Amino acid sequence: MKFPCAAIAGSLLLLAGCGGDRPASTSTLKITGSTTVNPPVAEAADLLREARGWTIHVDTQGGSSGGVAAVGEGRAQLGMASRPLTIKDAAKFPEAQLVTTTIGSDALAIVVSKDVWDGGVKGLTKTQVRDIYESKTTNWKELGGPDQEIVFFNKEPGRGTWEVFAAWAYGGDANAAPPVSHPEVGANAEARTKVASTRGGVTQLSSAWTDGETVFALAVDGTSPTPEAIASGAYPISRPLNLLTDGEPAGMAAEFIEFMLGPEGQALLPAHGYQPLP
Amino acid sequence: MIRTRPRLDLTRATAGTLALAVLAVLLGMGALFFWQSVPVWKSEGIGGFLTGKQWFYRHERYGLWTMLFGTGAVALIAMLVAVPLGLGAAIFTSEFLSPKTRLVVKALVELLAGVPSVVYGLLGVLLLRNWIYEGLDLRTGDTLLTGGILLGIMVLPTVMTLCDDALQAVPARFRRAARGLGLTRQETILHAVLPQARSAILASILLGFGRATGETIAVFLVIGRQDNRSPDFSALVSPGQTLTSKLGGSELNIAYGDSLHWGAMMGVASVLLLISILVTVGGRRLLRRP
Repeated sequence: MKFPCAAIAGSLLLLAGCGGDRPASTSTLKITGSTTVNPPVAEAADLLREARGWTIHVDTQGGSSGGVAAVGEGRAQLGMASRPLTIKDAAKFPEAQLVTTTIGSDALAIVVSKDVWDGGVKGLTKTQVRDIYESKTTNWKELGGPDQEIVFFNKEPGRGTWEVFAAWAYGGDANAAPPVSHPEVGANAEARTKVASTRGGVTQLSSAWTDGETVFALAVDGTSPTPEAIASGAYPISRPLNLLTDGEPAGMAAEFIEFMLGPEGQALLPAHGYQPLP
Repeated sequence: MIRTRPRLDLTRATAGTLALAVLAVLLGMGALFFWQSVPVWKSEGIGGFLTGKQWFYRHERYGLWTMLFGTGAVALIAMLVAVPLGLGAAIFTSEFLSPKTRLVVKALVELLAGVPSVVYGLLGVLLLRNWIYEGLDLRTGDTLLTGGILLGIMVLPTVMTLCDDALQAVPARFRRAARGLGLTRQETILHAVLPQARSAILASILLGFGRATGETIAVFLVIGRQDNRSPDFSALVSPGQTLTSKLGGSELNIAYGDSLHWGAMMGVASVLLLISILVTVGGRRLLRRP
């Protein structure tokens, strides 16, 4: 645990005091969606379970789009999405009124396996990344690395990570990304494991999941995703971490969001490698 | 002959209703999948959907070809693994073991058939994928071959135990007659027992094939889930996609609410259901043939 328990209990009491006019909810809070947004939210849920005795279910069915769908269909009160909402999202769930609350931000890293990193590839330009994505570049030696075939693990299209990557690589429009043929990966942990265990591996991965031991984040257009570069906006690929509700947040969902935006909740973001709100 | 008991109409009616209910569930499910998949058949055409080589929902392109290829390839590889081993083991248990030992061995094998598929999948991730990656020096260990071998191991107990039943069903008089004519034990099995059991053995293989085409989670974990890979020989040692691994992924969540995309996913489900029905019905028919 990162904070003294007493401080948490104290601040929660304060929070609870502030929210005293609302009836205490004894029902269940269901949260689902992005594996990227999940770590700080899951830890917040742990804290709230302990401090307030809440029943909270957190899972990561289907990534960001799964989160949007779950809230859109009323299967969860809170959705997690590591990308902005699109017009298409709203169109899919005309009966829901999806409301986004940003709780922090994350940089998207292009990560490679150890042999590529040790072989001398430390950074790529946007054009080079695009050429890898479109299989125009197929060997790392063309990029100053080892003579090793490039194995690109594509994050499943529709996942937050993929949407943000495609929008960045193709001039702001993810739909402009051409059809490609790569093995696909789902959750962040899977993406990391696959790259770490494959020679010549590369994928798009939340920078919070890069560890510098098994997978290595490349500099993009000359800037590495260091915390400073991400905070200053110098690193080019970043994205909001969002919580979604159907309509303005209410009840337990509202209290949860309030907690995430408060000092305790915000402190969880850097603890998991993300940027808190400015 | 035992005296025929008076018909219990209530029993008959209940059993009949329940049987009809099972049939109704199956038909209802098929109809629902097909109904939901209508948009994609309209948009792509039946031939276009089945033989289309591109699947890219962002551009509303839906083709099943690489998935059909993947499903067929992994199931065939699985059969190449499971049939020789399963049939060989069945010949051993049925023809060479004492009845008592045979039942013990059979019970153990059937236990293997009951191991949850995710456990096989984890073994595949843990061992098989790496052996294939390092052993064949491939780009990645997630390949159709990996999925096929894993499936072969999974359906092996099913194929073996069904083949064993098939061989046991051959009446002993065939063996005695063959031995009486001076055939050796091997010749008896090869020329008297196996031909008699042929259609039942084919049925076991077909049922194993059916299980292999429908298996999801174990395949999902080791197949690589690569769309749009053109089907050729080297595709067997490359990542691919099967009908089941497509349905097992998170694309269902993304598709929900978009009638064409959802229709395409339901189209995958319909085709999978149709394949498994055809294979199972075919297997059962063979099994019933004398």
